[in-house]
Amino acid sequence: MDEPALIHAAQRGDLDAFNSLVLSYQDSLFNTALRILGDEDLAADATQDAFLSAFRALNSYRGGSFKAWLLRTVTNACYDELRRRKRRPTTPLEPETGEGEEMESPRWLADPAASPEEQLDQAELEHALQHCLEALPTDFRAVVVLADIEGLDYSEVAQVAHVPLGTIKSRLARARLRLRDCLHGFGELLPAAFRHVEERGA
Amino acid sequence: MTRQISFRDLKDLSASLDGQVSRAKGSRLGARLRHETELAAELESLRRVRDLLRQTPRRHARRRFLLTPRMAGIKPPVPRLVPAFSWASALALLFFIFTLGGSMLSRFTFGAAAPMAAAEPQGIGGGPTREESMVTAPDVEAGDSALTATPETLTMMVPEPTYAPAPGERTTAPPDDNQLKTPTASLNPWMLIWAGLALALVVAALVTRWLGVRAFRRRAR
Repeated sequence: MDEPALIHAAQRGDLDAFNSLVLSYQDSLFNTALRILGDEDLAADATQDAFLSAFRALNSYRGGSFKAWLLRTVTNACYDELRRRKRRPTTPLEPETGEGEEMESPRWLADPAASPEEQLDQAELEHALQHCLEALPTDFRAVVVLADIEGLDYSEVAQVAHVPLGTIKSRLARARLRLRDCLHGFGELLPAAFRHVEERGA
Repeated sequence: MTRQISFRDLKDLSASLDGQVSRAKGSRLGARLRHETELAAELESLRRVRDLLRQTPRRHARRRFLLTPRMAGIKPPVPRLVPAFSWASALALLFFIFTLGGSMLSRFTFGAAAPMAAAEPQGIGGGPTREESMVTAPDVEAGDSALTATPETLTMMVPEPTYAPAPGERTTAPPDDNQLKTPTASLNPWMLIWAGLALALVVAALVTRWLGVRAFRRRAR
């Protein structure tokens, strides 16, 4: 069944049709939530909440990009979680190395298909990016995640963030500039191409 | 000659990476980029940041986020057989039993008054009224009155005897309580059977519905 037909069936209460849509978009929603929240468990909770909210509010969907509509629900769920976290701050538990020191990033999450060196590089790069993303204001973070990580076009990002296109351009430019400055601090962890350009530009 | 780079320039550079500037603005930017090395370096650094973000490994969810009917708040439809035993039917049956039971109970409790109550509708339905029975009562033989007359009519008959018996003459003994009871006061065994059947039906309906819904919800979960 094609997507519009599935959406139409889901709007009439067909849960199986909605679950087909869930399977199509769950990775995208989870990945977005993970980049905004920086925590797998919270991201999974936000994704589940988002799908539940989406099913309940499905009749308010009036066409357009369904992915953008779903990403809006997950972004809202992430904002809710960030507000909750601000009210009740917690310290995440980091895994420990063999020497009993805390690891800065959970290495077991790396892609097992890559070589150990690649896994290490990938994990370090991901850690650097996630660190810099989390340093951004929430609105900037959401826009850069949606546009640069999820690959949405500006109009879709505007639909998700519910702000004008000009605001999206402005937020995205600021976010990219701040990320560039933040990533300077990670120097050797970044891919060679990035380092060379930064050295030339400096 | 180089101009100072403003945030507006940077915003346009960022947007141009994604092809989100107008053609006129794009050509102006292109002309500046050919002459301003700093602007070109900014564009390149922004491009690298964007490319780096695009390389961010995609994480896959470790579980599926499928919704269950319970999560979605969907009540599973009741199985087809069960509506026959729906709550409304069961309740209706229950009321019926109460009515029946109440009627039977009133017959037991007010057994003595029942014949009077039964006598009044007879008047309405064309039978003899209370006054008529009073008038005709003296004409009825004492033996018959023990079977058909009500206690009230009998008591009303007492103060107005039609004749005074002579001293030493044997009078007819007053009817005892057992004789006053009419056949309608006794319990009809069919009513008991019907009430028992109705009660059994109600219990069966409730149990069947409960079992059916429980089994169906377990399957739907």
